[in-house]
Amino acid sequence: MVLKLLGLGFRYLLRRPYTRLYPYKEPPFTTERTRARHLLYMDRCIGCRACQLACPADAIKMYKIEGEWPKNRLKIFPGVDYSRCTYCGLCVEACPTSALVMTDYTMEHLITEDKSTTLYTPEMLAEPPKGEHRVTFTKDLLKPPPQPPPKKGGGG
Amino acid sequence: MRKLQVFLGPQHPGAPGNVAFLLTLDGERILDVDLIPGFLHRGFEKMMEYRRWDMDLVMSARICVEDPDHVELSYTHAMDQIFGVDPPERAKYARTIVAEFSRLASHLLWMMHFAGPVAARYATSWAIAAREEVLKWFDYVAGHRIYHHYIYPGGVRWNLPKDLKERTLQVLDRVEGLVRDMERGFFLHPVFQRRARDVGRLKASDAVRLGATGPVLRGSGVAHDIRKALKYDAYGMVDFEIPKGEYGDAYDRAMVRLREMYVSIGIIRQAVQQIPEEGPYRWRLPMALPPGEGVGRVESARGEFMTHIVSTTEKPGGRPLEPYRIKFRGPTMAHLTTVLKHIVHNEEITVADFPVVVGSLDPCPPDIDR
Ligand code: SF4
Ligand code: SF4
Repeated sequence: MVLKLLGLGFRYLLRRPYTRLYPYKEPPFTTERTRARHLLYMDRCIGCRACQLACPADAIKMYKIEGEWPKNRLKIFPGVDYSRCTYCGLCVEACPTSALVMTDYTMEHLITEDKSTTLYTPEMLAEPPKGEHRVTFTKDLLKPPPQPPPKKGGGG
Repeated sequence: MRKLQVFLGPQHPGAPGNVAFLLTLDGERILDVDLIPGFLHRGFEKMMEYRRWDMDLVMSARICVEDPDHVELSYTHAMDQIFGVDPPERAKYARTIVAEFSRLASHLLWMMHFAGPVAARYATSWAIAAREEVLKWFDYVAGHRIYHHYIYPGGVRWNLPKDLKERTLQVLDRVEGLVRDMERGFFLHPVFQRRARDVGRLKASDAVRLGATGPVLRGSGVAHDIRKALKYDAYGMVDFEIPKGEYGDAYDRAMVRLREMYVSIGIIRQAVQQIPEEGPYRWRLPMALPPGEGVGRVESARGEFMTHIVSTTEKPGGRPLEPYRIKFRGPTMAHLTTVLKHIVHNEEITVADFPVVVGSLDPCPPDIDR
């Protein structure tokens, strides 16, 4: 028994460590679907506030941005407070024009010592993240869009 | 006899998370134990009354950090009843797969918490390595590691990836290998057996009387499992056994959890083979919540998790999108109050045994406080 256990222990000693040497050697683990920092396409946004109303964490606030916005008569755009955001993606789902998407630029990159920097204004959200990232969560993930249930009912 | 009262937790390394206990001691022996909850009270039930039903789903996952998908699942079942929908076949399998992965992740985290106090530090690392594989799988399917928000009223939130079968089977092989090593290196280890055998015994009749559910109940020899009893989602379509113990001690409860990990792996393997290749993954539900009542009962990693939702149009202020009342009932409260007190009163439990007894009950303090 003891020898067997020692053998087992040695096998693990020779294995590659599971831990990622983040941030020095490896980036955080992400996939094609990782939901993290948003990206806002300001030219698509119509200022409908659907994203703000969908946010369970009340992380979204609308900001007035002066400029030429033919689609956005009210000139209001969403800004996200990352000290509140839960990365649930309900805002992306609610957006009728796909103006809001999420990238895999994870919260590990957004860690900050200064609390006042967690607030991302629309202009900051429109700027793609500095580091390596890909756009992961768009409404394309919901394709084909869900249809209403067949009529008949029944328990869940 | 001079009695001594000692607080254990909420910051004590031997405490199972954010709860405290007041222990009444006579020397090393524990005479009585009182649970002191409330450190993690976030007022979820009240918050949810003021949020839309889809936002509530996102909040529900946070009630039990270790096993979020079962909370989502019980919430979803209750919502499905209120909307009167039966999810599509593909979604039923998807829910089953995600729920079983959640059980695996939860049991592996329990293993980490449990192996620490019995001084098997190596087993903690193996458990975390195996859990890491599961969390990466969650990131690949649901986009997040811990809170997935994937199970959704009317089905699942989005479709499963195309290469689900191959990738899931690979992950399961790796996890199973690690679990087998843990079995040989920890569960069958004589030191662990001596530490956990005959500690914290709970008879079957007492377990039923005191409201124990899940692995605690099954460890005492009662083969009750809601997955079998209600056959919800795809559980009626897969084959699995219910592991149970014999003596109802800490060792039996640990072994039940170990065997449940193998059972979960088996269920997922069957489900990825059987899941329909095509078909809808979710029904679109109306935004307005119809009046009605729904109860969702699921077998979570720790036992029965229940969600009761009442929706009415006569709500003051007329809020058609938000439920009138949501009530959650998790398994942990019974385990840390009645069951723990019963064990301490009927057996000679020392301070050193206490983490073993509490660990074997696998509490999830957030589901007491909510
Ligand atoms: S991801 Fe969720 S929490 Fe974050 S801003 Fe969007 S809706 Fe709000
Ligand atoms: S981002 Fe989308 S949902 Fe939000 S205001 Fe703009 S268009 Fe509306």
